[in-house]
Amino acid sequence: MTDANAPSALDPTFPEAVLGRRALERLDLLLLTVESLDLNGGEAMLWATRQLGFETIFPNRVELWKRRCHNPLRRSTRRGQLSAVETEALIRILCVMADRLYPMLHQLLSSREPEELTRQRWALVNQRLRDLIEERMNLRRGAIQRFLGSEPQDPMLRQLVLTLALAAGPGGVDRLRASLLDPTP
Amino acid sequence: MLKQSYRYDQTTARLEVEGLPDFSAGHADQAIGILSAWRLKIVGASELEGKREHLEALMRVVIPYVRLRLSGVVRSIGELNDPVRMVPDGLQHRLDLTSGQSEVPPLSIQLDDAQLADLVRCLDALRGDARVCLSWPAIQHEPLPRRDLVERIPLMQRLTAPLLGGATVIVLAVLGLLLPLPEVQAPRPENGAEVNPETPISDPAQGDGER
Repeated sequence: MTDANAPSALDPTFPEAVLGRRALERLDLLLLTVESLDLNGGEAMLWATRQLGFETIFPNRVELWKRRCHNPLRRSTRRGQLSAVETEALIRILCVMADRLYPMLHQLLSSREPEELTRQRWALVNQRLRDLIEERMNLRRGAIQRFLGSEPQDPMLRQLVLTLALAAGPGGVDRLRASLLDPTP
Repeated sequence: MLKQSYRYDQTTARLEVEGLPDFSAGHADQAIGILSAWRLKIVGASELEGKREHLEALMRVVIPYVRLRLSGVVRSIGELNDPVRMVPDGLQHRLDLTSGQSEVPPLSIQLDDAQLADLVRCLDALRGDARVCLSWPAIQHEPLPRRDLVERIPLMQRLTAPLLGGATVIVLAVLGLLLPLPEVQAPRPENGAEVNPETPISDPAQGDGER
């Protein structure tokens, strides 16, 4: 598990990663995917926050929710950018959550699982993610409309699940951070 | 026995390393400072083993490949005759292994996304294990250059905007050429009305009432 190597919240070695608009959208969407995979995902995120020693950054669920609301696609969005420490904390929480959900991610991505079972699993995750998006995102945004109007087998959901699987674990933090800092093409 | 063996297990992959502590470097009894052997078992494929440099080559290829996939970039890592190469193969990934010995045929292992994730987690676990005191190749994860990311956008989508822009410019230029030019007429001075270019200036010595 990642917690053994978790640095303290005020670790000066934290990289100065300030995310742009697209990266904030992607990070929040990945956290939303975690919630669609884990029905108790909100509570689990709080648990991960405490486990990683990030209580000073996110003392309660409201503070965590407020940081996630920097996503411009949210229904109730907040202006401004996340600080580098907050960004790093969210990335690490996401990687711990992905690590915890790894068996489920593996099942979804494996081609050795029975085809019908895999199809039903994807349909379930897809439906949960759509419900969460409809509940929390601004439905007038083009990106949200495109996602909700896409086919259930849309490659975007697979890419989200694959991202979580490849970012899970201790080595995933650096990889995910670098990928979030990619420039917008 | 001083020989140590550590195992990193995932659902479809198992990586095992064996070695000895390097007492000259001050390692503890449980540490591995000299790698003597490693084995990688991927479900559905033959067991791999080799020297330390082969394991390092595997790390240098698999970890950057995964980094690219995280950004949605589908590209091979490694050259054709390199000992290890990762190649995208449809929805799957192919791990090509070429032995340094000419009598050993090259080996290809097909991996799905789940197996790729398992493999990279095994390598991550080994690199992060404090008991294995080996200096692994440094792999820095940096944001990708813009040109790499552009490749993930379909060619038609990439070309639509410049093609539309170019077509619009051409159409407007052709329309502009088709418009008739107005005839240029030389100005004709009228004979009757002579224009006195000089502005009448009153004599400053004159009084207001005399003007």
